[in-house]
Amino acid sequence: MRENLRMVLTLLVIGAICGGLLAVVNNATAPVIEARAKAQFLEALQGFFPDVADSKVTEIEGEEFFACYDKGGNLLGVVANVTARGYGGLIPYDLAVDKDGNIIGIRIKTHSETPGIGDVIEKDRFQKKIIGLNFADPISAGVDVDTIAGATVTTAGMISSIRRVMNIVGEEFLGMEVEKTEIDLATVADGTYQGTARGFKSDITVEVTVQGGKITEIVVLDQDDTPNFWNMAEGPMIERIIAAQGLDVDVVSGATGSSTGIIKAVFEALK
Amino acid sequence: MTTLAQEFTKGIFKENPLFRLLLGMCPTLAVTISAINGLGMGIAATFVLLCSNIVISALRSIIPNRVRIPAYILIIATFVTIVDMVMNAYAPDLHAALGIFIPLIVVNCIIMGRAEGFARKHDVGRSIIDALGMGVGFALSLTILGAIREIIGAGTLFGANIMGTAYQPMMLLGSPPGAFITLGVLLGLFNYLFKRLGVE
Repeated sequence: MRENLRMVLTLLVIGAICGGLLAVVNNATAPVIEARAKAQFLEALQGFFPDVADSKVTEIEGEEFFACYDKGGNLLGVVANVTARGYGGLIPYDLAVDKDGNIIGIRIKTHSETPGIGDVIEKDRFQKKIIGLNFADPISAGVDVDTIAGATVTTAGMISSIRRVMNIVGEEFLGMEVEKTEIDLATVADGTYQGTARGFKSDITVEVTVQGGKITEIVVLDQDDTPNFWNMAEGPMIERIIAAQGLDVDVVSGATGSSTGIIKAVFEALK
Repeated sequence: MTTLAQEFTKGIFKENPLFRLLLGMCPTLAVTISAINGLGMGIAATFVLLCSNIVISALRSIIPNRVRIPAYILIIATFVTIVDMVMNAYAPDLHAALGIFIPLIVVNCIIMGRAEGFARKHDVGRSIIDALGMGVGFALSLTILGAIREIIGAGTLFGANIMGTAYQPMMLLGSPPGAFITLGVLLGLFNYLFKRLGVE
């Protein structure tokens, strides 16, 4: 019993002393760490907006957005402190957008992407593709921004994250509207609608019938895509859109061009 | 009884933690991408080893035998956390480069091994010498490993370009498999050298 008590007491005393020591060291170092982080942060903001005099932080879905103002209180732009998902894990980065919706800078903070491959996101080769893009651009991998061969997962992850961030920055800070990609069937009156969009290599025209807020029929009026691929896409895509009563459906692999063309044509018809 | 000089040098040659005892492999393989990382890790581990050896040796008659391991872990973890905080405050670049491996010094076998195998059986003076020897041996080994990987893998040494601009870095040595390959080659080399020199 006495031995047990001694063990408990010894550990307790050691623990208390260790805890006290840590508190002292933490008190001494925490202000230094914080001051440095703050200085680095303002420096980083100045790297994007040299005239920045003040910033205001807004937290949206757990991520921080810093609206930057000059001396006169005019909005210069927004620096978003956000995270993308890469190949090796999460990639925290800063994205700077000026008041006209142009990306003017990107800074990768840390990453664990493969050296020599995924770390291209830190380099000019990738960043040049990003800087200068506007809110109104699609900012979509393979559409207006090419991924980097060999680092597809990393770069596509970055690009889709940038689109997401641009939507938030544009809507919340710059008063811009995000283009709709989904239709609200409840607002579509009964009737038949026609829409045309680009498929794999031809324009696809569809006629969509809506009854009681539901898509009941989709008929393809015209198209000239490669027959083999078109035939793979047509049936399943129409079935999927009607089943989902929306456009958030999987495309037919191997016939992506025709599949996305059908989705876009239906969107054009109902928007 | 071994002399103090022998106590010190054994950590560097005869019982070199890395090349002879093969202890502390996890941080070794992970951080030795460059010489400066290896040296930083080595110094951090040496500091923790020195402090924990001193404290554990001084408390060796006070700590009850049955709870000695949790007591050691408490002491070691405290020093590691201190190193972590101090490094974050005053050497932020190194702190960022070593990252998660600083807190992981807590479970570095060398530190636990010296506490259990040496400090709890010897006086404070000898424990200090032992810690310094082992620490220098560990730091030296990490620096050598880091230097080789940095020179071949990036063409630089301590950040300075030494291979000329025409040199195409051999990426492999900078990546995790390169750590195993370099360590393996060095182990073979040192085993051969030690045998030739008659060090056992």
